[in-house]
Amino acid sequence: MVAENHYYFSVQERMVARNVDLRSDTVTKPTEAMRIAMANAEVDDDVLGNDPTAFLLETEMARMMGKEAALFVPSGTMGNLICVLVHCDVRGSEVILGDNCHIYIYENGGIATIGGVHPRAVKNNDDGTMDIDLIEAAIRDPRGELLYPTTRLICLENTHANSGGRCLSVEYTDRVGEIAKKHGLKLHIDGARIFNASVALGVPLDRLVQAADSVSVCLSKGIGAPVGSVIVGSKNFIAKARRLRKTLGGGMRQIGILCAAALVGLQENVGKLESDHRKARLFADGLNEIKGLKVNASSVETNMIFIDIEEGTRTRAEKICKYLEERGVYVMQECSSRLRVVLHHQISASDVQYALSCFKIALKGLQNETGN
Amino acid sequence: MQFSIKFLEYVCTTDKVASIILVSLAILLEYLVWYQLQMVRIHTFAFRLVFVAEKMVARMVDLRSDTVTKPTEAMRAAMASAEVDDDVLGRDPSCFLLESEMAKIFGKEGAIFVPSGTMGNLISVLVHCDIRGSEVILGDNSHIHIYENGGIATIGGVHPRTVKNNEDGTMDIDLIEAAIRDPKGELVYPTTRLICLENTHGNSGGRCLSVEYTDRVGEVAKKHGLKLHIDGARIFNASVALGVPVDRLVQAADSVSVCLSKGLGAPVGSVIVGSNSFITKARRLRKTLGGGMRQVGILCAAALVALQENVGKLESDHNKAKLLADGLNEIKGLRVDTSSVETNIIYVEIEEGSRTTAAKLCKDLEDYGILLMPMSLSRLRIVFHHQISASDVQYALSCFEQAVNGVRNENGN
Repeated sequence: MVAENHYYFSVQERMVARNVDLRSDTVTKPTEAMRIAMANAEVDDDVLGNDPTAFLLETEMARMMGKEAALFVPSGTMGNLICVLVHCDVRGSEVILGDNCHIYIYENGGIATIGGVHPRAVKNNDDGTMDIDLIEAAIRDPRGELLYPTTRLICLENTHANSGGRCLSVEYTDRVGEIAKKHGLKLHIDGARIFNASVALGVPLDRLVQAADSVSVCLSKGIGAPVGSVIVGSKNFIAKARRLRKTLGGGMRQIGILCAAALVGLQENVGKLESDHRKARLFADGLNEIKGLKVNASSVETNMIFIDIEEGTRTRAEKICKYLEERGVYVMQECSSRLRVVLHHQISASDVQYALSCFKIALKGLQNETGN
Repeated sequence: MQFSIKFLEYVCTTDKVASIILVSLAILLEYLVWYQLQMVRIHTFAFRLVFVAEKMVARMVDLRSDTVTKPTEAMRAAMASAEVDDDVLGRDPSCFLLESEMAKIFGKEGAIFVPSGTMGNLISVLVHCDIRGSEVILGDNSHIHIYENGGIATIGGVHPRTVKNNEDGTMDIDLIEAAIRDPKGELVYPTTRLICLENTHGNSGGRCLSVEYTDRVGEVAKKHGLKLHIDGARIFNASVALGVPVDRLVQAADSVSVCLSKGLGAPVGSVIVGSNSFITKARRLRKTLGGGMRQVGILCAAALVALQENVGKLESDHNKAKLLADGLNEIKGLRVDTSSVETNIIYVEIEEGSRTTAAKLCKDLEDYGILLMPMSLSRLRIVFHHQISASDVQYALSCFEQAVNGVRNENGN
């Protein structure tokens, strides 16, 4: 059970001198350049017509991802929800996805409760992949249609968050794409952090998602925009997506304001992702040296770190979180023995050092407290 | 030219110097007259050119909807300097300010910012009707039923039971009561859980539901254990037109969805108000639908400016609407039911026998830079907002005149 009160608070509420917010890359605040862009954005009613700045952003994103068209949406959750529902618009559909993926775990089961789509979960490996043969085995045999829902879609997640921000290679993605094609299925990639994957793998975005029919890309995470995601896909797909977006209530009016900030994010912050990855690796190495903490350094591929509290260590995740909080360092508690840290461009190298020293002191202090 | 030649002939036969002077003057005069003629022609052409240019770009009077309002300077400044935070992981401070303010204004416990009025209504209906097998009573000409893609059913699994909307936007109270399902029939009936009203009522021409009517519907709801939701996209217009404070106007309602991006002029968004427990459920459903935005304070800052600056301008929008309505009614070929123009919306009927249709008239007026919404073959809609000036109204009126009855150059005059 998630310790809800622990995650959901505003950093500003805490009166501390230094704030190092490592809970997520969604906490990024708009930069000066973004604020200026937002204030000057050319806007129009994007429902009655086309907001010009939204149009610019959508055109740019489609181009970058090598797809025909794109659509701005308020969140990654809506991005995934729309994609699954458009691919599975016939009642009685089933979608294959990882048992530890964001859509399945953290989107309120919306694809089912809102969309009427049945999820078929396949085991996620530690690296974020699903075994190809397990995926194939999960595809429903059409001959059983009297009893079976109809599989229409496979979803991948790149980078895979719950595995620690790990990248799916372009070879793996292509193989899953082949399976999908072979069985007449669509392929959707939850690419919330696809930019991180592209940078870490050294593979251009459009090549990375070539096999996919649709991708949902977050702009409010590492790219640093205040709000929003973009779905990319074929023109036909995006036309249906636009309609469903309206139905779900995502049809906003003068959104150029948000899109202007996103355009700045795309120009300025993609280049900073590599640095986030470097800081994450440094941080992970530093944490690994602290007695009582363990990080699987080989699995730190992008900007995310899972920290395990070793058995026998006389303290639990909650206590460490609280201790860190008092010193202005905020992390996410995953369970009683696991923490998560996410780097982003508003975390500096000195913030990393500061956080590391807080961790050191926390572990030492808490060890002593519990009677050593 | 003829004149000067004759004169020349005459003068040349008499005094030489005088003749030269006179002839020169004559030629000059002739030239000036000719020149003036040319200038008139040029002026006329230039005027037409300017007129055409105006038609094309220079003047735009967008009367399609009050959603077209663009953010003002004050809003842009507020957005640029808004204090923000992650509104999903915690609370965005500007968003919190807006939501607190809206709850207070409406006399409800809590409020939540959503990307659109459609989502505001969708969330409200779905939260009130969160048990499978629910039914909601609403007007057959209401926005939720006509213009929201049937989302309450296709997305939410809620069954709509429509009751006839009268021309003034109300539904007959006895028809509402008759539509409520008898629980004894539950083996075959869905369960009625909610009644929805819309104030102002868009499709009736922005007409206001009185506070007395709203209270009566509230009593019926209470009597039968139902909730009452008001689609208050333009509730501020209703409040201003009726002279009733918004909190009193919606007192009987369990929830209200209020648009900020319409007459109030904010770039994006609506707010739902209701009880604390209702808003908590709404927040969760908002996330599920994908409306959980992060540093949303940027949009909320603009909305706060809208609340401060533009509520006071609504009365003026209503006055301009009445002026235009009266003016349009006097144009031969058009008819407006001026008594039904209560707020900022006008429906214009094209009379039978007129040479034009709604679609054609809209297209013709587009050439003048005036944008309208055609509603059917013979009907079009005009919506006022604070970015339409009094001079825009005059301009629109004269363009209507021209387009409906005026002589057009294309017709070869």
